[in-house]
Amino acid sequence: MLMRRQFVLTLILMPITFGIWYAAGSLFAAPAVWLTDFLMSSAYPNIVEAAGLQGAEMMVRTQFGEDGGVIMAATDAGNHIALDINTRLISYSIAFYAALLLASNLKDAMYKFCIGLFWLWLIMAFGLASILGKDLLLMAGTPFLDSTGVPPADLIALIYQFNVLLMPTLAPVCLWFWQLRGSPLWEALAADIRRASARA
Amino acid sequence: MGRFLLLFCGVLGGLFAIEMLKPVQEAVIQPFTGLLAALSTAIILPFDDTVIAQGRILRDATTGFAVSIEAGCNGVEAAIVLIAGVVAFPASVKHKIIAILAGFFFVQALNIVRIISLFYLGQWNHDVFEWFHLYLWPVLIMLDVLVVFAVYLQWLGKQHPEGNPA
Repeated sequence: MLMRRQFVLTLILMPITFGIWYAAGSLFAAPAVWLTDFLMSSAYPNIVEAAGLQGAEMMVRTQFGEDGGVIMAATDAGNHIALDINTRLISYSIAFYAALLLASNLKDAMYKFCIGLFWLWLIMAFGLASILGKDLLLMAGTPFLDSTGVPPADLIALIYQFNVLLMPTLAPVCLWFWQLRGSPLWEALAADIRRASARA
Repeated sequence: MGRFLLLFCGVLGGLFAIEMLKPVQEAVIQPFTGLLAALSTAIILPFDDTVIAQGRILRDATTGFAVSIEAGCNGVEAAIVLIAGVVAFPASVKHKIIAILAGFFFVQALNIVRIISLFYLGQWNHDVFEWFHLYLWPVLIMLDVLVVFAVYLQWLGKQHPEGNPA
């Protein structure tokens, strides 16, 4: 019964949380973008110069440039290629997580939401870095793959698929489940689990 | 709980990596995605005879509008999450197989609703299409996985009432 209420309430709350998330624009994505900027420009200074927010887009100034249709180092080309990445492709996980958490009516919901938000920002940073890796692979190709510390193309594709197709929906569920502990819904779920695994 | 988490992550990562392999993509994923497009067309055709399926593409012959079912849109990733959860949770092999088959069916049933809805939303309004495609439908599919897993746990509990182990 509690689980049914959880799902129905989540569906009812989703238009509200998604509306707030969309209206907030870059607000929910900003910390993840800053973290991505720090991670990528520290780990790959020869590839990423800087990343920042422009509306809901993450603008990345790369160390690659273009001359006559050929991708080369920005210092040789005399220009920098910039990439823009839609942060909403990842940040909708926050709206989903908020709907799940609010529907559970947990104690200290706001505190739990802040903790969850912190984790989601970390996960989002990896998601944004994964999109950047995929975009650089498609845009620059060999010069990017030949750069120091860049993983093979297949691994970039796998990481992208995992972090972009799966994590934005899976991470909120995992966080919500972890924060359910001690709640009436958790007790109901635990009873189901005990019964289900009784003979296993 | 620790065992469940370890198994869940292991199976999830393993299946995800297998799904990405080129031979698996060519032999399983792409034909399956084509089948989804054909199934969607078969469902739409009695109501709208202008729809045609070309491989993974669903096209409206009148307007020329088309949607291509790509990785992430075929419900395979969601099914992998469900399979990982079912495999990781302690139960008999028979129950796991039933849960995986039934769960796969329910995930794909909703996914076909997603494909059909996107096909018409795209012809109606591109912004609404983008919203549903990129943000809402992935969440609804994951909720579907969660519902299926919750129902599976309740069903397992009914199969093995507490205090009556065999």
